[in-house]
This record gives sequence, C-alpha cells and structure tokens, in this order.
Amino acid sequence: MLYVELFAQGLVQGSIYALIALGLTLVYGLLRILHVAHAAFFTLGGYVGVMVANQTGSLTAAIAAAVIVAGIGGILMFRLCYQPILHQPPFVPLIASIGLYIAAEELFRIIFGPSGLSYKDAFLQGQVVLFGTLRFKQAEIAVMLGSAAIIGVLSLLQTRTRIGVACKATVSDPQMAESFGISLRKVGDINFFVGSALAAFAGVMVSVLNNLVEPTMGSVPSYKGLAIIVLGGLGSVRGSLAAALVLGVVESFGTIYLGHLLDRNAIAFAFLILVLMWRPQGLFARS
Amino acid sequence: MSALLRVGAVTVRFDGVTAIDDVSFDVNQGELLGLIGPNGAGKTTMLRVITGVVRQTAGTVLLDGKSLDGLPTHRRIRRGLALSQQIVTPFRRMSVIDNVALAAGADRTASPLKALFHSGRKRELEIGQQLLARLGIAPQANESPEIQPMGILKRLELARSLALTPRLLLLDEPLAGLNSKEARLLADTITEINRSGTTIILIEHNLGEVLRVCRRLVVLDNGVKIAEGEPTTVMNNAVVRSAYLGTGAAAQTGEQHAAA
Amino acid sequence: MEYEITLVTTMAISVLFALSLNLITGFCGQISLGHAAFLGVGAYTSGMLAKAGVPFLLTLPLAMLLAGALGIVVGLASLRVRADFLAITTMGVGFLFVGVVRQQDALGAEMGISAIPDAGMSKAAFMLFTVALAAATALLSSYVRRCWMGRVFAAIAEDEDTVRVLGIDVPRFKLTAFALGTALAGLGGGLYAQQLKFIAPDSFGFIESITVLSMVVVGGIGSVIGVTVSAAVLSVLPSWFQVIGDYKLLVYGGLLFLMMRFSPGGMAALVTRIFHRGRRPAK
Repeated sequence: MLYVELFAQGLVQGSIYALIALGLTLVYGLLRILHVAHAAFFTLGGYVGVMVANQTGSLTAAIAAAVIVAGIGGILMFRLCYQPILHQPPFVPLIASIGLYIAAEELFRIIFGPSGLSYKDAFLQGQVVLFGTLRFKQAEIAVMLGSAAIIGVLSLLQTRTRIGVACKATVSDPQMAESFGISLRKVGDINFFVGSALAAFAGVMVSVLNNLVEPTMGSVPSYKGLAIIVLGGLGSVRGSLAAALVLGVVESFGTIYLGHLLDRNAIAFAFLILVLMWRPQGLFARS
Repeated sequence: MSALLRVGAVTVRFDGVTAIDDVSFDVNQGELLGLIGPNGAGKTTMLRVITGVVRQTAGTVLLDGKSLDGLPTHRRIRRGLALSQQIVTPFRRMSVIDNVALAAGADRTASPLKALFHSGRKRELEIGQQLLARLGIAPQANESPEIQPMGILKRLELARSLALTPRLLLLDEPLAGLNSKEARLLADTITEINRSGTTIILIEHNLGEVLRVCRRLVVLDNGVKIAEGEPTTVMNNAVVRSAYLGTGAAAQTGEQHAAA
Repeated sequence: MEYEITLVTTMAISVLFALSLNLITGFCGQISLGHAAFLGVGAYTSGMLAKAGVPFLLTLPLAMLLAGALGIVVGLASLRVRADFLAITTMGVGFLFVGVVRQQDALGAEMGISAIPDAGMSKAAFMLFTVALAAATALLSSYVRRCWMGRVFAAIAEDEDTVRVLGIDVPRFKLTAFALGTALAGLGGGLYAQQLKFIAPDSFGFIESITVLSMVVVGGIGSVIGVTVSAAVLSVLPSWFQVIGDYKLLVYGGLLFLMMRFSPGGMAALVTRIFHRGRRPAK
C-alpha cells in the first residue's frame, strides 16, 4: 500500500512540475532559451491568487486573475527582456534570465515580506478517498485533473487551430512560423502567454495546497523545471510531460529510500545526471 | 602510382536511410580527384566518413595502408588530412592571419601541456603570411573575417587547411557562392596547390571547373558509385548523364548551384 | 585596522574564486552553474584535514588535488552533453554536493564543521598570503590567455567543431580547463575555511554559484582585469553599504540582467567601447 501512496503523491507533484515544464518547453522550443525566470510567474500567480481570493472569496476569480496577470507579464518579459538579446550567444539570455529570477524573488520578498501570505478561507482542503484507501486532499485531485484537462485542451488547440499548429511546429523548428505566415513575435507572444499562465495556475494550486504563498516558493521549480525539460529532451513537449511525472515519482520514492544519503533536490539532480550519462540527448529527444 | 587513400566497400546507414551503399575508390598520391554527383548523392557524407565525423556502418578507410577506423577526427587530421568545409567557419573573434597561425601551430597544440609552455608565435605568423600571400589574401591579414566577402573567406578556409601541411586535402564545394570569375581563379589556385604536391579530393557542383582541373572523377548518385574515370569518358556515360539530367539539376558548364 | 584586514582578505579570496571560474567559463566557454561545489570541496577538505592535525599549508595542495580530481570527473561528464545541457548538469553537480554533505554526519551535516584550527599566522600575514595567491592566480590567468593554450581555449569557446578539424584534441583541452579552474576553486575553499574557521553546506549552494558567475559576467567573461575588479568590488559591496546588504540579492539579480541586456561583454567591454570612442581615427 505504501508503494501506491508514494506513487500517487509522486503523480501529484509530477502534475505540478508538468504545468511548469510545459511553459519552459514552449519557450525553449521557440527561442532556444533556458527561461529560468519562468518560475517568477509561478510565484506571481500564487500572490495574485491569494490576494484576489482574500478580496473576493472566490477561487475561480483568483485563478482567472492570476492566469491573466501572469500571461500579460509573460508577454512583457518576452518583448522587453528576451527579444532584444536573442541574437547573442546562448549564455547571455540564460544569465539574464537568472538575474531576472533572482531580482523577482527579492522583489516579492521586499514588497510582500519574507513570511508570506495565506488564504483567509482555506479552499479545497477536504479529504477525498479513492479506491478505498488512498487519501487525497481535494486540492491534490484538482491539481491532477486540472493539469490533465489543460494539457488535453492545449493539445487539441495545437492540432485543430492554425495558430496552434504553427506553435507546435515552431517548437521543433523555429523558422516554421514564417512559413505559416505568422510572425515569430506573435508565436512568441502566444508561447509566453500560455506558458506563464500555466505556471501561474500551478502557483495558485500549490498555494492552495499549502495554504501559503512565500517569496522563495518558485526557486525549486525554477531550476528543477530546467532539469525536467533537459531530462525530457529539450524541445519535446511529450518528453517534458513524461519527465515531469517520472521525476515526481522518483523524488517521492527517493526521499523515502535514499533520504539518509541525499536530500530531495540532490535526488532529483542525481537522477538527471545519471540519465544524461546514459542518454546524453535526454529521455525522449527527437533525433 | 600508389594509393594514398583507399575507401573500401563503405556503407553508411542511419534512420533507415542508406546514405552510402558499398562505395569503393582509391585516391592516388599526387592526384586531383573530383568527387561529383547530383544533390544528395552522398558526397559530403563520404567526406565525413573519411574525417571521422560520421561512422560507417560497414567498410574501411585506409590512409597509407593504415586503417582510420575508430580514430577521432583530430587524430585523423594529425595523420595528414585536412578539410575545407562547404560552409566556411572562420573564427570571427580573431584576425585572418590569426586563424591561419592557429592551424599552423599544430605542433604547439598537440597537447595541453605543450600548449601551456609555449607562447611565442613568430614562426606560425610567418607561415601564415606566406600562405596568405600564396592564396592572394595577404592584404587582409590583420582584418576581421566578419567584414570579408565570400571569395576571401573561401581562400582563408583553404589557407587554414594548408597550414596543417596535409598529405590529403579534402575540399567540400570550395567554389560555391563564387561568381564565375572568382570560381575560375580559385580553381586555378587549387590546381597550383595540387601541382606542388598535395593530393586533393574535390567535391564540386561547378562541373565546368571540375572538368577543367580534375584528371579523374568518381561519380556518386543516391549513395552508389555509378562511374569512375577520365572526365570526358565519365561525362559521356549515359548513366551519368541521366543521373544529372534526371534530377533536373542543370549540368550546364559554369552554372552555380545552391549548396546541398 | 582589523576590519580592513578582514575586508581585503575577503576580497582576495573572492578574486581567486572568480578567476578560477573565469578560466572555465571565460577562456573555454563552458558555462558552469555549480562552481561553488568545488569551493566547498576545497573548504571541507582543508577544514577536516586541519582538524585532524594536518598543518594548514599542507592542506591546501590536498584541497586543490581533490577539487581538481572532482573537476575532471565533472569535466568528463560535460564532454558527453551539449552546451545547453552543460549548464544544467553543472547546476546538478552543485545541488548534489550540497545534498550529499547535508546528510553526512561525518561532515557535520547541516550544521557544518566549526573550530577549524588556526594556521598560526597573524591576521595580517594571512591577508598578505591570500593577496599573494590571488595575484598569482591573476598572473597565471593572464599567461594562460597569452600562451597557446589560451588561444586554443578561445577558439574552443567560439566553435569547438572547427577546432577539432584543425587536429586539436578538444576534449583534452576542455578537461584541462576544468581541472585548472576547479583546483584553483579548491584553493580558494581552503583559504575560505581558514578565514572563517567555520563552514556549512549552505555556503556552497546554488546562490553562491550564481554569485561568482555574476562576478565573472559583470567583469567581462574572459577578461582577467575585469573579473578581478568586479570580484573585488562585488564581494565587499554589502559590507560597505549597509543598505545594500539587505538588498544584496536584488542588486546581483538586477546587475546580471542589465549587464546581459545592455553589455554582454561586461565592464571590460564597456571600457573598451569608451576607449575606442575616445580615439576616433581607427588604426
């Protein structure tokens, strides 16, 4: 029974990672940038969510607000921060992104204080029992279902709408956008909007799970997210999703069985390094 | 005539595609051999097999009777090969002459230890000057490659390869991107390099120049060797003609084609 | 006077540390996001050996050896992966180091090790010692840049595939860069441990790796003078302005971003640009 519980917990964590990883993959596929600052939208989502929820009492409004604010923020970051430096060697946007994230985290700390904010009325804290013995918080179910639903909808959009197809094509071949008659800038806007919105949704859900938003909540997702997309094969959407879930489960089991040797992050990165040594191109890289 | 390079039954397969199928040919000491064929014939892949960038699925490559199998690229270069690539890759953060001097310093760069204990460049700069002069680009010695036209860059690529004092020079479409006058001049330079003792394999789409300067041709089409021999004989070969005309690629003399 | 001595010592150690990263990232173009791990290896090696009775000066070469050896292992790993992956892999190494050390009671776990024995030098003498080592590192870096190894490094940083085609054993040169850079970081670690007499795993984490990277980047990747100056200034900035102390990370983050956005070549590039504008007629 323990195994099943660990596995389920791993899936919950993996779903959160997946939401974050998707945005990172979209950006990497388009611009070949490791968008470390992505996690800033995760945190931003959390803060906006808490503030709106505390004002209006509605979780739905909180999610909507978080998603929109982050989406717009993403577009701004693309236009103001990344577009001007795209032609530079790859370490430039990487380090710029790291700088952005560090500054963002500090801004959250300075503006909102280091101890964080909580929900006045805790949402979705009730217990749900599945299959007789598995206990989940409602929020955990919401995360898993929510991610699956969102990713499902996005997949449909990617295959059914023209813009969607263009976005999907650009993940593997950035020049593709032009041949669809869609400017790179527009695809960039869409990718950043969607990616940041997803991160914000994840941020709201995590803040509901823990009933806490604090400035450093994005730091683990920021670099783990990168580990995940690298694991998945950089630029492969399917790979990132799979890697996200796999990592969630690996961490879940790893902390129980290897916790005396390595802490949680070390386990995640040890796994990453081992996989890369075995398959340097990632788990699901396109040839 | 002794064979400097011997390609024996080389086959290259990846992703289900057979890029090269059982191709064999020799390159004799002192030759200027033309390796031609329509787009996608496998010519560049063949060069990559020789330099070790691509590993062959089957077959052998012998240089001076010794197999090159398993050797990494840099070791093959040290055995006497040099490669001038189709897409020129000068180091943009150094001057033209610095590019050549780096190559000329093969002795100094043989190992990190050697490289650490030597800092003088007088000899290499002199060699660089000579080579640049030989290739007619001495005036550009201290300029940056970033501002040079293609013609100069092609000559720089050639000078850099020559600085390695190769026994076998592999040229991948050195004339691509040049107008007919520049192409003719560079082809003449290549001939002169060959006459002074360097064996050359020349891949080129510019058939006019190839037929003019090469004494022997090997023709590939779809990964298979379809002809070998003297230029006029080869070009009169019906199979060769249909390979070129059949793909729609013009076999007109002097025409340029976009690089594959 | 004591306060100034501590300040200068801190500056010297930071300069040494930053120059060691400059060798890897600046000269050879390999982005390392986990360099603090090697500072940590050096610090723990020197500290533990000192506590076991080994004379301080002897612990230093041993610290360098261990850090350099681990650097070669990481370097070997770096050879297998593409550039984009390398940054993340080195980041992973950093987390691995902290994660392992935190769980080992023998290494003091989260609390770290304290009461590292004194080297027997006065504070002033130790300061001079560290400054001398930092200066030596700067001289070594300059020399490397000028010699053939530096030329190969510069070419590798630009286009390593073409370097292979010139008959150069690129993997071996990259490994050399890693070994040198990490060994020097280990030296810095030993000095660091001696200065503070107390070390903990969290001092060698991701933030520290980013901090030292930012010193290299702000100074100008590859520029020995630029990195030296920026490391010296940035390392003590928080102490000089108490206000900045609290906003230290904000300044770092902002600086990194603004530098990359407006002058990716760092201060060195800015200075060069100013000088070229000064002498209008080009040579």
